[in-house]
Amino acid sequence: MSEELRVSPIETRGVAGKRRFAMVVDTRRCIGCMACQVACKAEYDTPLGVNRTWVPYKVVGKYPTVKKQFLPRLCNHCDDAPCVRNCPVDATFKVEDGGFILQRYERCIGCRSCMAACPYNARFMLPSHRSYTPITNVVDKCTFCFHRVTQNLVPACVQTCIGRARVFGDINDPKSEVSYLVATNSTQVLRPEEGTKPHVFYIGADRNATEFGRDAYRQPEVMELERSAFKRNFKI
Amino acid sequence: MGDYVWFHDVSWHASYAVYFFVIGILAGLSFMSYGSWITPALRPLREKAAYGSIALLALGGVLLIADLSQPLRFLNILNPGYLNFSSPLAWGALNIVAFGICSVLYILALRKGDETRGKLLALVTALLALGLPVYTGFDLTVHQSRPVWNSPIIPVLFVAMAIASGSAVGSLLAMGNEEAQKVLRQYMLWSAGAVAVMLVSVMGTTNYGGSAAELTFMIMTTGTMGLLFIGVGFLAGSVAPAVLLFAPMGKSQAVLMVSALLILVGGAALRYVLLMAPQQLQTLF
Repeated sequence: MSEELRVSPIETRGVAGKRRFAMVVDTRRCIGCMACQVACKAEYDTPLGVNRTWVPYKVVGKYPTVKKQFLPRLCNHCDDAPCVRNCPVDATFKVEDGGFILQRYERCIGCRSCMAACPYNARFMLPSHRSYTPITNVVDKCTFCFHRVTQNLVPACVQTCIGRARVFGDINDPKSEVSYLVATNSTQVLRPEEGTKPHVFYIGADRNATEFGRDAYRQPEVMELERSAFKRNFKI
Repeated sequence: MGDYVWFHDVSWHASYAVYFFVIGILAGLSFMSYGSWITPALRPLREKAAYGSIALLALGGVLLIADLSQPLRFLNILNPGYLNFSSPLAWGALNIVAFGICSVLYILALRKGDETRGKLLALVTALLALGLPVYTGFDLTVHQSRPVWNSPIIPVLFVAMAIASGSAVGSLLAMGNEEAQKVLRQYMLWSAGAVAVMLVSVMGTTNYGGSAAELTFMIMTTGTMGLLFIGVGFLAGSVAPAVLLFAPMGKSQAVLMVSALLILVGGAALRYVLLMAPQQLQTLF
């Protein structure tokens, strides 16, 4: 079967004349400084307890040769986004030029259907009180820094990454760095079996780190501190 | 050891499970009310079931709206300019509104004693009531990343649970009426049996699924969730009533009442676990 036949009408990747922004995360370069997370928080005044991007880690190896394996996470800006399909009021939508998945805050009813639909946990509910931003009690998510990209800037997390672990660009442009990286490295996306056609590509990500972890299931107390802090601050 | 898993909250909380429970009962009651036009034995239930159904609809509506983080924007879901028909929630909202309107018209027809219009409206209301557990089931089924939810059996299971819960409440409402209890016993017996069979099927396919399904199975069958799902929902709420009602003593009033209560308690537990367990796994990703 040719590549053309496998492209569904909803896909924007590989479609001539259309831009399709994507991010490549080179996990070999990530040092876990969390600067991306801080830059994102600063850019959007994201409240405590929730994040548009976050960097979980897994300790691998055996003493003395152990290391932390980081897996920066964010919205995957899927081509076939389940959150877009599931929003009853079209508050979540896909921007055709670029493939951004964005949120209309004024329309969101807060049914959390999009949160339930997202296989990547990329969506979260904003709390009812925020210090500087009036947008509250609606679902929020990473926007691939739409406002920056439309001004020819890269997203805040990419801008600040000191290891150049995050690279952003138009994957439909054969001259872009992201299309070069995807073409010349073996990459993987998170949960490809869900058919969402995600557009965050990982280089060097270990399959063990991108799957559900058994340890996580066995250690609920590990998260208890965060869980209780979250429940204290979020009356939802 | 040493893994740092980010904490994510579940999307839908327990109030949604209560909503599922209420919607199930009201749909079941609506079936009973329509059934009274077909089966004369159920005649004493006609008005009671219709009134009960609309009272529960009001409760369910309040629960659903209160669960939104922007409750006053619930009207957005009825705005034709906003509606997204690829979402089961949009269909569900229309279904609930249509059901509410038909229920009111049906009650008005009952009060007037208009038999012809009453029977027709009972049929339309019952068909719309069928859409309620079906839409709530689809609401879960469309989430392809959630084991258990993403199964074609969930809407069917919700319909069976609605019949079971509705006939259980009907049985409590028609206490002392032997003719009605005879029919309701059959409804409870076969719907509880169908729920038990479907639960075995759900457990089997989940246990034999991929890594996410396997972990969901572990969550559903161990600890508090296991107690609720296997103990209360499956054994006490589905198998036990089916066995009790099938046994020779199943025709006695006491057994019918016990079975009805078990079905209701089990139905509530099942809806809670079916909603929460697949979400619990997702919080760990």
